[in-house]
Amino acid sequence: MSYEKIGQELKELLGLRGSPVAVKLAKTGADLPAGYQKVPEKSRHCQFVQNARLTGTKGYATLDEHMCKGGAGVMGIGPIPEHLSTGSTFHKLGNFRTAEGALDTVSAIPKSTESYYASVYSPLESAEFEPDVVVVIATPKQALRLSQAYLHELGGRISSDYSGIQSLCADAVVAVIERGVPNMTLGCNGSRKNTGIADEEVILGIPPRNLPAIIEALKIFSEKWG
Amino acid sequence: MVKTINVQGIRAPNSGILADNVIKNMDNSDEEIRFLLSPGAEVGMEAVARKHGYTLETSKSGDLIEARLMPTGKTMQEIDVRGDFCPGPVIAVGNIIAALPVGERLKVKAAGSDTLEDIVMAVKSSGSGVVDQGVEGDHHYLIAEKAEKPEAVSAIVNRDSVVIAQSSGIGNAERAYATFLFSKVGLSMGKKVTIFLLMDGAGLAKKGNAACVKHPEFERLDVLMDEVIKAGAKVYVCELSAKFRGIGPRDLVEGVRLAGAATYLELMSNPANAVVNF
Repeated sequence: MSYEKIGQELKELLGLRGSPVAVKLAKTGADLPAGYQKVPEKSRHCQFVQNARLTGTKGYATLDEHMCKGGAGVMGIGPIPEHLSTGSTFHKLGNFRTAEGALDTVSAIPKSTESYYASVYSPLESAEFEPDVVVVIATPKQALRLSQAYLHELGGRISSDYSGIQSLCADAVVAVIERGVPNMTLGCNGSRKNTGIADEEVILGIPPRNLPAIIEALKIFSEKWG
Repeated sequence: MVKTINVQGIRAPNSGILADNVIKNMDNSDEEIRFLLSPGAEVGMEAVARKHGYTLETSKSGDLIEARLMPTGKTMQEIDVRGDFCPGPVIAVGNIIAALPVGERLKVKAAGSDTLEDIVMAVKSSGSGVVDQGVEGDHHYLIAEKAEKPEAVSAIVNRDSVVIAQSSGIGNAERAYATFLFSKVGLSMGKKVTIFLLMDGAGLAKKGNAACVKHPEFERLDVLMDEVIKAGAKVYVCELSAKFRGIGPRDLVEGVRLAGAATYLELMSNPANAVVNF
């Protein structure tokens, strides 16, 4: 699969701001793509995605580089801090009226069933590795087209799930890898505030295997619908 | 390999929509899928299973509902060990489980609960699990699920259980008495006591045998044995040793149960057990 072509076509057919982002979870140091360096500075997973999307920054982040240990934890990079796994932080922050509601929510957040050494990022069109998931940050209309394109081949419906917390990590990466199906999510307070995902943007995680059919469908839509 | 997907928190009908998409994206249509769902989210899964030619089985898994979708026509392997005795059933079941992919299940039919308990012990000891067991008509059954054996970790354990292996029988009265006197002491110390009668020790399990042993300084052996059993000690007799000596289930002293080699080996290899041999 030529991700260079797919990445370019996705950008052009949808008119995306920035690039789709290839994300890989590396089991060990040996699984890191050749030539990839650590990300230039410590930050959060959602910021690494944004950097790859908007500035073309490539690199990998181990637990040390992940400042948001909750995001890293759900991806299997280190443990999930207790104050997050119990939901107590989200309860204190006011996300939930009760501690039980917070616990119920964090228990249902998708979590990696495997442990990983690092997460790897690159704009899709220049990725030198096989991604586990492609993260697309899009407007609702672009997300509509992607949804229609996903359904073009086999039909059906799409079910997306999110809880407004741990969005780009759990919803857009882990859920997609674990289930093997796309998921759409609306971001979380952290990703909206810290990483500059715009109010008019949503986030989609897509399994790479779905991309060729999505591109073909987008071309058909483009011909038919302009 | 069974694909397991945890989708707790997603309610019906979205759980069904998600399951539909998961199946459409499967590489192998012969693969079994297991969804872990919040209660109520299994509604609609039957329709998804039918649409894709799967058979749905639902069961409880802790606080969640487990929905297993198996390609129709693919049935769970079964083995019937009725008529076989220790160690045959454990070996037969162990060989099948060793060859199963992780997540697949095996149904075992056994004549009695004693044989079944021995198989449960062997299955768990191998790292796999028992997801269901019970009685169906005239036989007992269990459903084992293959799992990877977790890596052993060294740990400091409290030896709060004592296993007394008794292989001398009434031919050595001192050892026979010691078996039950030590058991009394162990129980008085708050320890769990398990006695395993094997080889000549199996003779102690036969009704009437212990009543023939009386030392002037101690109670008659059968009285002592009864006290220990009533105080909570588990007493097993090796099925093979019993069979060797013509001792059947009806000949056993009340409270003594038949057990197989797997039970014995598990008791011996469990680091929490302090083992004493008489």
